[in-house]
Amino acid sequence: MMRSLFLFDMTFWLYLAALGLYVAYLFAKRPAMQMAPAGHPLENIEERDGAWATQLGQVATLVTVFGWVLNTLALTTRAFERMEHSGTFAPWSNQFEAMAYVSWAIILGYVLLEFRYKIKAVGAFVVGIGFIAMGAASLLPYRYQTAEPLVPALNSYWIYIHVSITLTSYAAFAMAGGLGLMYLFKERAVNRGSQSRFYAAFPDLETIDELGYKAIMLGFPLLAFGIILGAMWANYAWGGYWSWDPKETWSLIVWLIYGAYIHARMTRGWEGHKAAIYAIFGFLMVIFCFWGVNFLLSGLHAYA
Amino acid sequence: MNDKPEAASGVSASGPATSGLGWEEFSREVVDFFASIKLAMFLFIVLAMTATIGTVIQQGERPETYVQEYGEDAYRWFLRLGFTDVYHTWWFTSLLGLLCVNSLTCFHKRFPSVWRSMRQDKVGVSLAFIQGMKQQTTLSLNQSKEVVAERLVRLFAEKGYRVLAKSDPGEVTVYATKGIMGRVGAHVAHLSATVIVLGGLLGSYYGFQEFGVCLEGQTYHIPRGNFDLRVDKFWIDYHENGSVKSYNSTLTVIDQGTPTATKTITVNDPLVYKGIWFYQSSYGDAWDQIEAARINIKEKGSDKIVGTVDLEWNKEKAVDGLPLKMKMTDFVADFAFNSTEKKVFSKTAEHANPAIRLAVDERSAVQSTPWVFYHYPDLFEIKDSAYQFEFIGYQPKKFTGLQIARNPGITMVWIGCTMLVVGMTLSSLIYHRRLWAKIVPGESGVTLHLGGTTHKSQIDFQKEFRKFTEKINAQAPS
Repeated sequence: MMRSLFLFDMTFWLYLAALGLYVAYLFAKRPAMQMAPAGHPLENIEERDGAWATQLGQVATLVTVFGWVLNTLALTTRAFERMEHSGTFAPWSNQFEAMAYVSWAIILGYVLLEFRYKIKAVGAFVVGIGFIAMGAASLLPYRYQTAEPLVPALNSYWIYIHVSITLTSYAAFAMAGGLGLMYLFKERAVNRGSQSRFYAAFPDLETIDELGYKAIMLGFPLLAFGIILGAMWANYAWGGYWSWDPKETWSLIVWLIYGAYIHARMTRGWEGHKAAIYAIFGFLMVIFCFWGVNFLLSGLHAYA
Repeated sequence: MNDKPEAASGVSASGPATSGLGWEEFSREVVDFFASIKLAMFLFIVLAMTATIGTVIQQGERPETYVQEYGEDAYRWFLRLGFTDVYHTWWFTSLLGLLCVNSLTCFHKRFPSVWRSMRQDKVGVSLAFIQGMKQQTTLSLNQSKEVVAERLVRLFAEKGYRVLAKSDPGEVTVYATKGIMGRVGAHVAHLSATVIVLGGLLGSYYGFQEFGVCLEGQTYHIPRGNFDLRVDKFWIDYHENGSVKSYNSTLTVIDQGTPTATKTITVNDPLVYKGIWFYQSSYGDAWDQIEAARINIKEKGSDKIVGTVDLEWNKEKAVDGLPLKMKMTDFVADFAFNSTEKKVFSKTAEHANPAIRLAVDERSAVQSTPWVFYHYPDLFEIKDSAYQFEFIGYQPKKFTGLQIARNPGITMVWIGCTMLVVGMTLSSLIYHRRLWAKIVPGESGVTLHLGGTTHKSQIDFQKEFRKFTEKINAQAPS
């Protein structure tokens, strides 16, 4: 009955394939500054290895882009289904759709990052998170996955903008979390003096750190904007712009946590290791705000 | 914000230790403390932690609820700490106040330097200053210093930098800057915190929020606005699958006796009159009135049902074929009796024990006003009557739940929110960068010392810096 569900499924498998390819790429890639054993030039082998890795990387990117296109199609199809069944357009009107949208945004962010900075190794982590988001969505019970009509409070044009912007900020924080994890892996390898080519393919620590910071710098104002739009919506729907409902409060908590991060970055000693751990912690809080609050705490957002 | 150049140029160099604590030092210490980033971080984290309390412990419940769930001792502590209404405790409000003080002091301390650098920049710097920067390089160029300076000016200007040059005897310094709005943005965002909190305070002191349960056809007085509100109509729309699509009330404002405004409100679309907002907030079954009731009439003698009658609210009806006239005069959803006042009332709003009161006229001889119960058909018997009445069904009357609110602080809150979003966006998308180039003539051509700094986006700046360097090198005819 729901054509979009098939497309969401396909997206899931493609992201899984892309994740596998990115990991394979990491294993295949030779570190750029490979130390040659004394007296044995390794040019030939390196060239062959390099070409093999490059091809893997290209396929990974291609599969990711294709998965993203399918994700887009799935969301568009869902938008039309919603139009038929529930009188709204927004393909992010329940938990399942929201998750699918978040993974869409994460993958889009990653693809843009890859094209701009030409760093493929990040894919193993960030595409991984996009894939997990998609997977978690498909684990939801079927009744959460269909395009049921919306409750009256949600039936408003505010849903287009408030929800999409908030979810985009979650995606940015997810990227930052993935980069934080990557930083810790790389750091561990560096500290141990690991010669593994897996880690050598990662960008250097400073770049990972800086990219994570950028992701948060993007998510932070977006979340503020999302919360404010939510307040404006609440002012029309519930009769007050702020009612300390658990979802509202948790989004503020997440915002405050990243606010502390942004300010900490201005002081010395808060880059690198600490920032990476903090970004992961922040992402866990985002997950709680997104999932935990819906399932554990009751409130006005209970339907989301 | 505390980037290196300013520190290096000696703005905040700590003076020699003074013996006494003068007013100057004291006030500087205070400003430093309240403007500090550490305090900001502390407040963010503490606010985040304390805000979780209210999401775990239900807020604003009745004492019994807490005692039942957490025990009496815990409840006593909850009261002492304000955990039953965390967000309005003195300490939570103080934390918010402190955040405002923090951001305002930060503005006071740091904005003047941003303002100055918007209008007048520090062009002349020492060579050591340039060489101490994170991004710095030294190039040897085969041109005269005038040509190099001119090329640099053009190159930076092309990239949108504002360029200033200073010619000293023996050397030329070129200064280029871009993206100061990023820092202005951060300060705008800082100010917004205070604006939002003030707007919130204004609302909580001069605003109000009430909930009204209203029935169709009734007129209610709104004392806060000194006008009347009539509920003309209330109805519910359904989706095909039976779920509620929307619920709507048509309201008419009656000001000084004349209807002045009519609007059909629905969820997400309130009525606003004289600054008072009427929201469609909920609906439900009224607990003191119903639309219609169905009554079975049983003959006592034969114990057989001899008739069924549908009564409308407060309308007398003669029963066909029986010498009976009946009227439904009262309804309670959850029957209770106050024995001291001898009054019937509804214990709760739930339809737990619905009962109606009938006014029965039998052959114009026996008159009675019995209560009949939906769940207990045989509870009472009317003496002298030949009949027994059974209350077998009813159609509830829907009430419309209206949220009535006025918030004079809301404009201020939205202004603050706009400042916050604009400020944060500027501050995260635009980053302030500054470049200094010192051109020193050497034996053949010139030596160019180029240095640059930014307070964030290091990798982008690094890229840009590299491009600048490449371009300067490429254009030099060797």
